[in-house]
Amino acid sequence: MKARLVVTPNLCTGCRTCELACAFAHSINRKPGRSRIYPLPGGSHEMWTPVVCLQCEDPACMKSCLVDALSRNEETGAIVLDQDKCVKCMACVAACPFGCSLYDAQHDLVVKCDLCDGDPVCAHFCPTRALEFKPIAPIRRKATG
Amino acid sequence: MVTITINGKVVQAREGEMLLAVCKREGIDIPALCHHDAVEPFGACRLCMVEITKDEWNGWRNYVTSCLYPVEEGLIVQTHSPKVIELRRTVLDLQLARCPNSPELQKLAAEHGVNSTQYEIVPDGDNCILCGLCTRVCARLGFHAIATVGRGHHKEVAPPLKEAPPDCVGCLSCVQVCPTNNITYEDKGNVRTIWGKKFELLRCSKTGKATITKAFAEALSTRCDIPIDYFDVSDDEHRRQLALKMGSLADWAPKEQS
Repeated sequence: MKARLVVTPNLCTGCRTCELACAFAHSINRKPGRSRIYPLPGGSHEMWTPVVCLQCEDPACMKSCLVDALSRNEETGAIVLDQDKCVKCMACVAACPFGCSLYDAQHDLVVKCDLCDGDPVCAHFCPTRALEFKPIAPIRRKATG
Repeated sequence: MVTITINGKVVQAREGEMLLAVCKREGIDIPALCHHDAVEPFGACRLCMVEITKDEWNGWRNYVTSCLYPVEEGLIVQTHSPKVIELRRTVLDLQLARCPNSPELQKLAAEHGVNSTQYEIVPDGDNCILCGLCTRVCARLGFHAIATVGRGHHKEVAPPLKEAPPDCVGCLSCVQVCPTNNITYEDKGNVRTIWGKKFELLRCSKTGKATITKAFAEALSTRCDIPIDYFDVSDDEHRRQLALKMGSLADWAPKEQS
């Protein structure tokens, strides 16, 4: 994994530019799609936090997909949904413990963050750098057992 | 890798790849109703027929369903020759005789210049073209709740013995993939009815939103090793909880000047 989408909640002003950028970046036939990123009020100070797919290491969405439409793009580290394989059973939407697999009613598609093939548009548009796409060192774990 | 020619254009393809997938990648629009990438090709709707030949075949031509035909070295493919278009029109004409009231089929047929069928219309017909996509997807998901039953004129898609299917979990995948939208279901209050079976919808305790049925959540939990409490709340509530968690984890204290 080269880089990750890093969210710094205390820099977020709740301007929702990321949401707009995401919706337009995922347009189909010039119709904006459902935004994969959600700025929501959170934390003790009720400040805004952009909520976006965490690209889990052991993803519930990928495990719940019975037709193997979800797979990890090894280059970007993102879990990508193959729309041609998806049968819209909503298993991933219900299974994701962070609610980041979404149903786009306008296009009748299940959607999730794909990190825009390794160049997330939301990070480009964030005026306060609360969203940054940057390389981070892999997390070291304690040996188990 | 093998080299084939599609409509005069030389194209590289992987060994064993199906012709339809190669044509799709090249941006050639071939109609297909029974094809879905989640399941194996089946060749039921016969709309993806193409003309194939080879240099050594001495002018002999064959018409094959491209979804089922693996690429071969030196294959010369015509996807929109007059004969192929005529074949497609005939197939659409026959399908329209079976399902004259299907808006999806009417639209596709009209795009090919078939505005009404010249065959005798099947009486008391529905919008099912018997492509079997719903049954194949159901089997792919591992539920095997529905199948095609009967033969010839009596063939139809139905649960076993035409009773409420015991293996159905109400995931609605069959409804979603049906090319002619023939499968109906009903969500009323907390109950989903499909194939004559009733399911309890799993409603979020916080937002009241229902995404899947309780039976489907239980099946996913046991088969895919997902804790059942993941399904308790809806995606909106999950996102809100994540925002709260991330907000509380954030470093709100002002940085000390050093």
